Amino acid sequence: MRVAPFATVALIVLQGTSPQDDGQWTMPGKNYAATRYSGLTQITPGNAPRLRPVWSFSTGVLGGHEGQPLVVGSTMYVVTPFPDVLYAFDLTREGYPLKWKYRPEVNPASLGIACCDAINRGAVYADGKIVYNLLDGHTVAVDAVSGRELWKTQIADINQGETTPMAPFVAGKRVIVGPSGGEFGIYGWVKGLDLATGKILWTAHNMGPDSLMLARPGRGNYAGDPNIGVSTWEGDSWRRGGGPVWGWISYDPELDLIYFGTGNPGPYNTEQRPGENKWTNSVLARRPGDGTLVWAYQFTPHDSWDYDSNAEMILVDLVLGGRMRKVLVHFDKNGFAYTLDRVTGELLVAEAFANVTWAKGINKRTGVPILDTTKTTGASRGNVQGICPSLEGGKSPASPSAYSPRTGLFYTATNNLCMNFEAAPVTRIPGTPYIGATTPYVAGPGGHMGEFIAWDAARGRKVWGIKEKFPVWSGSVVTAGDVVFFGTLDGWFKAADAKTGRQLWKFKVGSGVIGAPISFRGPDGKQYIAVYAGIGGDWFLLSGDVRSDDPADVRPPADFAPDLARHTSQGGIVWIFGL
Amino acid sequence: MLAACNRSDSTVPRSVRYPDHVAAGGNQPPGGEIKNPLSIDSTNAADGSKVFSAMNCDGCHGGGALGWVGPSLVDGRWRYGGTDGALFQSIFYGRPRGMPAYGGIMSPGAIWKVVAYIRAQPVPADVPTERWPSGERRP
Repeated sequence: MRVAPFATVALIVLQGTSPQDDGQWTMPGKNYAATRYSGLTQITPGNAPRLRPVWSFSTGVLGGHEGQPLVVGSTMYVVTPFPDVLYAFDLTREGYPLKWKYRPEVNPASLGIACCDAINRGAVYADGKIVYNLLDGHTVAVDAVSGRELWKTQIADINQGETTPMAPFVAGKRVIVGPSGGEFGIYGWVKGLDLATGKILWTAHNMGPDSLMLARPGRGNYAGDPNIGVSTWEGDSWRRGGGPVWGWISYDPELDLIYFGTGNPGPYNTEQRPGENKWTNSVLARRPGDGTLVWAYQFTPHDSWDYDSNAEMILVDLVLGGRMRKVLVHFDKNGFAYTLDRVTGELLVAEAFANVTWAKGINKRTGVPILDTTKTTGASRGNVQGICPSLEGGKSPASPSAYSPRTGLFYTATNNLCMNFEAAPVTRIPGTPYIGATTPYVAGPGGHMGEFIAWDAARGRKVWGIKEKFPVWSGSVVTAGDVVFFGTLDGWFKAADAKTGRQLWKFKVGSGVIGAPISFRGPDGKQYIAVYAGIGGDWFLLSGDVRSDDPADVRPPADFAPDLARHTSQGGIVWIFGL
Repeated sequence: MLAACNRSDSTVPRSVRYPDHVAAGGNQPPGGEIKNPLSIDSTNAADGSKVFSAMNCDGCHGGGALGWVGPSLVDGRWRYGGTDGALFQSIFYGRPRGMPAYGGIMSPGAIWKVVAYIRAQPVPADVPTERWPSGERRP
């Protein structure tokens, strides 16, 4: 169906608007809808300039600090990058001393299987347990009070190129987990574990035969052709076709559907995998109980540019064309922001939020991108120039967005980078990278490499933006006080007026920010903001010399960001700010 | 007690000697230098470059071995020793923090080609100091 006339579009506020926020932050995206909206109101545009650091803690780990802390009751939980230490801080005592720390055994061989730094995207709390993934392919559940390990389950195999830095999600009694490994030729999947025991109850692949995808063509809203996960690949290339699940998951309890994105097909050299490569670079809706695939939509068929779709699917309700629609909103690496009906998977809105050259738009009737074929890559096509966004994405899935029901706006970090793309044939050797492309970056139009923006998802347009010199790679949180928070790669943590984008406050936090801030109510009844500093992730690889701990690894600065290391270096710090 | 440190145990395998390691007591452990049968010439380096790509080494160590998720191999610095024999050992047996063992799928000859490629790369002279212009003067 075509998009409803814009004049009839209005936002209706349902998700994430519990009148009394309980002051906790118990799951990665704050709530099932993944809005990262805090109902706390003490911090306002009027008093935000008086924010001050009230506490900090070195995690003792240098890797990239993605993800977010949890606050459950009067305890804050922090998971570090490898070696995946779990800290529990007592917020009732001065200085927030540790209650305990849990130090799992993690196979260091996994460091060589993680594509892009040994990060961890955080934990989830449910039923008295802190549940999170270790880099080496295990999920653990730890007693939230005692710190004792309750169960540990192997979910992935590093020998096949699978690592597990994503934050698990809990829907009812199921723990939902997935792997990274789009650069290692994995056979992508999600699994549902029993929250009580850790037992793996179902495994659903993202490609391959229907029996392995847990797909039932013709039933319900699943419109895929029979075995489309095989027929859209050449030969058995789906068996090593990537499709990882390393991002965020959301859940609609009424529909009983989980939503998550799948990552890039492998290898990057498209000529080794002719076809649409379903369901890579897609959003999938599954039943959490048994994994059944209920619907799927592919954002970037036959991906030519590493445009993973692992970014969050934020669940809100909209009136479109005078009719209430349950929708999900998604900012894809490919530079388009999508609004889909989350009951059926129908595409409603798709507009570019970043500078895009690979496509002229999205055909709203078919849902298929209108390609600029001069930007299609492949080993026989040489060095293809001027592709925007770069494979960092118009927005990184590592930088989850926030949504305020008060303003009706989505808040997201964006990157303004373009790339050249030279693909080459590559052979899969299990346990080694399976990539096949060289992809240098340049700054996009305007020269600024990042911008933090407010987005109207109903109309598909930017409302305001704060340009940054470097790519913006942090998550964000927006509050009922109408303040939005984000961080920058050069180490600033910032507050802005959620309505206008006016910058209110900033503080230099010691290392670049790639984590996602949260807001919580302390035991003293006051509102606080917490965030990690600790540059890493892709920027561990891309920015040249931001590390100083290894005398045997000295690199020149990146040519597209020659002075980032002037402003920041590695180092994990947890910060808490308050009035 | 010193008997426990007896170096004449014939069950100890012959291994690479790491000249940049500290030897306890000042005594090098038994072991020898594994010799590279190839010369570090442009032909072997070019062959090694192809193997470096074909074996996906560049996926971790980066194009030109400049460093990616794995360390730079062209900065003149080595975690586990930079002799030809130490490089061979690192590739053949792997290393514990992520370097896979390639001895099962690469012939010794192919590994020596990769060693030749790595050894042929120029090492920058000035990596220890990075400086950004700011116009300051010496005090």
